[in-house]
Amino acid sequence: MTLFKLTRRAMLAAGAATAMALSPIMATAQTPPGVLIVGQIAEPKALDPAAVTAVNDFRILMNVYDGLVRYKDGTLEVEPSLATAWEISEDGTVYTFTLREGVTFHDGSAFDAEAVKFNFDRMLDESHPYHNTGPFPLAFFFSAVESVDVIDPLTVQFTLNAPYAPFLSNLAYPTGLIVSPAAVAEHGADFGRNPSGTGPFKFAEWRSKEAVVVEKNVGYWDGDAKLDAVVFRPITDANTRTAEMLAGGIDLMVEVPPVALSEFQDDTYTVHEQAGPHVWFLILNAKEGPFADKRIRQAANYAINKSAIVNDVLEGTAAVAAGPTPPAFAWAYNETLEPYPYDPAKAKELIAEAGAEGAELTFYVTEGGSGMLDPVAMGTAIQADLEAVGFDVKIETYEWNTFLGEVNPGLEGKADMAEMAWMTNDPDTLPFLALRTEAWPDKGGFNSGYYSNPKVDELLEAARVATDQDERAALYQEMQTIVQEDAPWVFVANWKQNAVTSDRVSDFALQPSFFLLLDDVAKN
Amino acid sequence: MAGYILKRLLSAIPVLFGISVIVFVIMAMIPGDPATAILGSYATPENVEKLNRDLGLDKPMVQRYFIWLGNMVQGDFGRSFSLNRDVLDEVLDRFGATLILAGTSFVLCSILGVAAGVVSAARQYGLADKAITFAVLLGISIPSFFLGMMMILIFAVKLRWFPVSGMWPIYGARDVPALISHLTLPALALAVVATGVIARLSRSAMLEVLRQDFIRTARAKGVPERAVIWRHALRAAMVSIIPVLGVQAGFVLSGAVYIEMVFQWPGVGRMLVDAILQRDILLVQGGVVFVAACYVLFNIAVDVAQSLLDPRIKT
Repeated sequence: MTLFKLTRRAMLAAGAATAMALSPIMATAQTPPGVLIVGQIAEPKALDPAAVTAVNDFRILMNVYDGLVRYKDGTLEVEPSLATAWEISEDGTVYTFTLREGVTFHDGSAFDAEAVKFNFDRMLDESHPYHNTGPFPLAFFFSAVESVDVIDPLTVQFTLNAPYAPFLSNLAYPTGLIVSPAAVAEHGADFGRNPSGTGPFKFAEWRSKEAVVVEKNVGYWDGDAKLDAVVFRPITDANTRTAEMLAGGIDLMVEVPPVALSEFQDDTYTVHEQAGPHVWFLILNAKEGPFADKRIRQAANYAINKSAIVNDVLEGTAAVAAGPTPPAFAWAYNETLEPYPYDPAKAKELIAEAGAEGAELTFYVTEGGSGMLDPVAMGTAIQADLEAVGFDVKIETYEWNTFLGEVNPGLEGKADMAEMAWMTNDPDTLPFLALRTEAWPDKGGFNSGYYSNPKVDELLEAARVATDQDERAALYQEMQTIVQEDAPWVFVANWKQNAVTSDRVSDFALQPSFFLLLDDVAKN
Repeated sequence: MAGYILKRLLSAIPVLFGISVIVFVIMAMIPGDPATAILGSYATPENVEKLNRDLGLDKPMVQRYFIWLGNMVQGDFGRSFSLNRDVLDEVLDRFGATLILAGTSFVLCSILGVAAGVVSAARQYGLADKAITFAVLLGISIPSFFLGMMMILIFAVKLRWFPVSGMWPIYGARDVPALISHLTLPALALAVVATGVIARLSRSAMLEVLRQDFIRTARAKGVPERAVIWRHALRAAMVSIIPVLGVQAGFVLSGAVYIEMVFQWPGVGRMLVDAILQRDILLVQGGVVFVAACYVLFNIAVDVAQSLLDPRIKT
């Protein structure tokens, strides 16, 4: 039959095409040794540390650049990096850094005090010739810096307009990483695609929407990396990222969805977990409505079954939060704090005492967003818990950007509670921006629930100007106790960041900073 | 004919103008601005205002629209802030990848769809017809992104015949065999639904034609069945099949958005989704106008092809 002849021919052709297609796969199924392939969650915006804001971009940047200081391995405590030592003036406003000698950028130019000055002036001084290579959205981390002065080629001095204790940790944050002035001069606004730093890996290639490739920086001041190269692949779809890991297309996968963790239980894979400086909470509207009463705010903390949320909804990828400060800030965390227990009876008692039975609550929930974990499922679980103690909870769901536009200007007149999550680099950041009276939305802060306690304000102001770490720690610990008792938020979860590596990868560990440091990692 | 083509091209101008207005207004109206998207948790009113100023978004809407339109007419689509790159460069790169994917899919679904329709019609109510009709129903009913995920699980994760995602190998040659191995799964997943639609419509178009007198005449004068079906009947049926192909080309192009997400194909659909989530206004606007222009041009080409095939259509 003629018709069948045609199909047979077509099948032959299809077979030939398939055979042709299969031949290269066999060759590429195994990723090469010494080259680590990382499954990232998105395409980076730019490889210019001053211009980016996303953790996803930081994961690449931390391997290409160094800052004056960095976090000590496995902690959130600052240690020397490009600066070997520093002195802080008595009044806490002048920081003098001694720089490491003999360091060069990947483009061959020298790292010195002029380079440091160039970096901060570029970000902060609107008249700087390269200020137009921005915008620099996180430049306000250094808004306390009044001037940066070169004392000699290896000494640089920062003068602040007021004592500002988080300054050092901000320098350890990616926004403080040092870029090559020569490369900025050469590439201008395209520097973000032609980066040059001093880090353990140097930039090799950026194939848009496919991969960013970095190669070993031979002669790195802190010892050569063990890997020859790292390839960062943007794989935005979490299911596809999981499939790539299972198929051997990537060696390391970050942000494994909780439901996919069970796929990686056998010996071929290692699942890594690390709690970080993250807190997931509910902002309660303390200005009006039922939550204006402290007892009702406490009742909400008792009513919500946080263990069920972290274990069942989040499949163990988070821990129950006790207060406003994540335990990852070990030095500033108040160890004596116990999370509010799950106690619906106690919650009902408090509600009855305050006469708020059956109160109606409007609850803002987001569909997703940075650090928000699984906000819809978590919101639904929270709604159920609150209804079980007699509230009438109405959920309103918004897309992330819209959600921020509703929540950041304040909840007054709109809602009683809203989901929120923060990842920060210093224990100062979140409470200072979201718990002080001076941080109410109309004053430009993030205290969207209008919490106000003069004692907390006082402690936070004092901690900000104290330069001694032990003194700061004591102030933060006292603040945590008061805030937990006042319950301006429902403290829900601290996210444990996770990653999976294949059995070819060794010496990998996640950092509490949520950065991805690859200079000690090896792959066979 | 040249006059007809010119007339159609001129009529595309108001369409494109309308699209530029719509996409601009939508991007201006949707809640959430680029500065909030960039700053995330750090979006204080003060920071947002400064960043909007740096991004040139503090000017009035009408003024921004005409600046954008004026630049675009001169070929300057602006700079994407989320990628730090010229919008046109990015769109052209991404569009090339989408054309390869959607083009392959379109060729696949046209050939397979028409062939299946013809075979079905020629063997009406026969075994082949029933099998094809069943397969077509199945194909139309499966959402392409789900099919894509299942194909990844079976052919990439379990059998390891094909790579999971991407367009090129991370290491190794960027040659045609490498491209085919990356293209096979997404192109098939994308083609399935359109193949089904085309097969159904081709079948009924063919049945219609096969009932007509000239077919009976052709058979009566002893033309071989193969020639009756593939030459006489199919040519007549193509007049009603081609517009369907035109519409399906649009579906394949828009369906590419899902498939590009699932297979992480570096195409224009995935670019637009990312750009919308990041509120990268210029990239969304430029991308949409560009894709719309291509779609309009493609439809003009289909109309022209149809008028060539069917002299009854006035030019």
